[in-house]
Amino acid sequence: MFKRLWTIFARDIKVGTRDFITLFVLIFPLVFAFGINLITPGINDTTVNVAMVAGEDPDREAYFDRFAHLTLLPDRQAVADRVLQRDSLIGVVRDGSGMLVLAQGNEPDEAVELVKLIAVLYDSGAQTGSEQTELVSLGRTIPPLKQIMVNALLLFVSVLAGMLIALNIIEEKTDKTISAIHVTPVSRLTFILGKSLTGAVFAVLMSVIGLFVTGCGQINLLQMLPVILAMTLLSIMIGFIQGINGDDVMEAAGSVKLMFLPLAGSIIGYELLAEKWHPFLYWSPFYWAYRANEMILSQNGSWAQLLLFVGINALLGAGVFAVLAPRIQKGLQAQ
Amino acid sequence: MIHVSGLYHSYSQDDRYAVKDVSFDVPKGEVFGFLGPSGAGKSTTQGILTGLLKLQQGDVTVAGYPVKSMKNEMFNRIGVSFEQSNVYSKLTARENLAFYRQLFDVPTRDPLELIRQVGLGGKENLKVGTFSKGMKHRLTFARSMINNPELWFLDEPTTGLDPAIAANIKDIIKAQNEKGTTVFLTTHNMFIADELCHRVAFIVDGEIKLIDSPKNLKLQYGEKVVTVEYLADGRPQTETLSTVQAEDKARLQAILGTYEIMTMHTKEATLEEIFITVTGRGLT
Ligand SMILES: Nc1ncnc2c1ncn2[C@@H]1O[C@H](COP(=O)(O)OP(=O)(O)O)[C@@H](O)[C@H]1O
Ligand SMILES: [Mg+2]
Repeated sequence: MFKRLWTIFARDIKVGTRDFITLFVLIFPLVFAFGINLITPGINDTTVNVAMVAGEDPDREAYFDRFAHLTLLPDRQAVADRVLQRDSLIGVVRDGSGMLVLAQGNEPDEAVELVKLIAVLYDSGAQTGSEQTELVSLGRTIPPLKQIMVNALLLFVSVLAGMLIALNIIEEKTDKTISAIHVTPVSRLTFILGKSLTGAVFAVLMSVIGLFVTGCGQINLLQMLPVILAMTLLSIMIGFIQGINGDDVMEAAGSVKLMFLPLAGSIIGYELLAEKWHPFLYWSPFYWAYRANEMILSQNGSWAQLLLFVGINALLGAGVFAVLAPRIQKGLQAQ
Repeated sequence: MIHVSGLYHSYSQDDRYAVKDVSFDVPKGEVFGFLGPSGAGKSTTQGILTGLLKLQQGDVTVAGYPVKSMKNEMFNRIGVSFEQSNVYSKLTARENLAFYRQLFDVPTRDPLELIRQVGLGGKENLKVGTFSKGMKHRLTFARSMINNPELWFLDEPTTGLDPAIAANIKDIIKAQNEKGTTVFLTTHNMFIADELCHRVAFIVDGEIKLIDSPKNLKLQYGEKVVTVEYLADGRPQTETLSTVQAEDKARLQAILGTYEIMTMHTKEATLEEIFITVTGRGLT
């Protein structure tokens, strides 16, 4: 069964890279992620860049390494030269028994303050193992606009996963190949799971890449996984139906596009409507996924809350499954 | 290998049957021909036997498995070639077969060897989307034997192919059968049926009219067919009539009594003529 799942998955990927529209869907999240970075520049560098003289003080090196991007240079002059380059890199060198912070003047104040703070903490012997220190000094807050966009990207990725499935089913339908699969030892279930795998792997992979590209890679990815999967399973089911009902690629792509409406509606509603109107959005899985993502992105949610949101989506998904599963089965059988 | 009795199928789920009270058995090692004009219900029957269409009514056992409770593993022993070719256009010929063979649990054949065997050698690395209809059809045929099937369903394997290639396909089927493969062959090519089939079934309008070996049929109907050429309203006409069937005999008498006869001779009937005699229908 696993060999067959893999075979179906590998074929789908291979064909995907040969189809212009599928290829576009495959790389779109990357374009989106880089776009977010373009629109909200600079906020990626929430950690400071520090240069030191290699070997000058191994303890200090190790300590700074925990909080900053550390560049080691051969001597003091090299550090000074490096600081003078255009980017916001700050030098830290020995000064008697203490430390000297070298800055050019064009660095953001927060960066300089942060370096000073780390220096003070080091001097006062604060334990590097202390989680508290880490979170207070560097606990990043992603700017609100960026967070909204990254969140939207994550929802987008799941819809695209559904679109991939739809395109894939259309391809099989056009070539009438499903009947050929049906006369092999591949069960109907394996076939459906193999196709779904393509969507799920795409969604998880693209979400993670998207998070890293936009500089949000340090959030709890493990928490993100159930949110992505619940949302993606829903999209995949919709994708199967659109593929079965659609006759050509453009038609299927068009009908999957309709899912962007509730997606955008849920985000706008959540961000702009007063709390008392939110119940009008409770039907939308996008709403719950968006809330869950927001919690994870801002790193201030509990597993309990997260499970609630994911649980609601799982329930909505189960409802959709109850309605669509027989149709998917029947629709594929008839091909 | 195949047992079918009392098989009915209606696409509209009512009493308009595409297949009506069809019964036959195919023993191991036989090439069984399913002959009939287009729309007779041949593909529908194959569809039910291969589990692609739901069994509505009747008793069907294939390779020892009742199709009502068909197991996926049964397809390790079965090969199916389709009337309408169905291969992935975005994959090359070789990739198509390489993908397909991965889906089986039994030893499979080398894709390249199969591609060469059906005369597509040199085309293995071309995307199938660039293939002609006939080439796709041959690839579909080649794919159906990749798992060395014990039971081989072939729906119109030579239709649309030029005679030389059709003869090549016929030889492959023959060789495969000699190695022990049981073949369920749907066709309306009577020459191929005549040469390959141990027994044939004539099917018209969803009903089997007769099952017998081509040899028996010829013994029974050969020399009992008369081709008469006559002038009707000044234009020459030809008819082939049985000298045993009452209806044909009456028709012959009518022609003799009414028109000016040009030529008239008896001859050994071809399978096609026998089909027409028996069913009253042409094959196309
Ligand atoms: N999918 C279908 N839906 C409805 N009717 C069909 C379908 N497939 C075939 N038929 C009808 O069933 C009859 C038998 O068709 P088929 O089995 O394809 O004949 P053959 O293979 O002998 O040419 C025909 O009248 C045909 O129109
Ligand atoms: Mg047919």
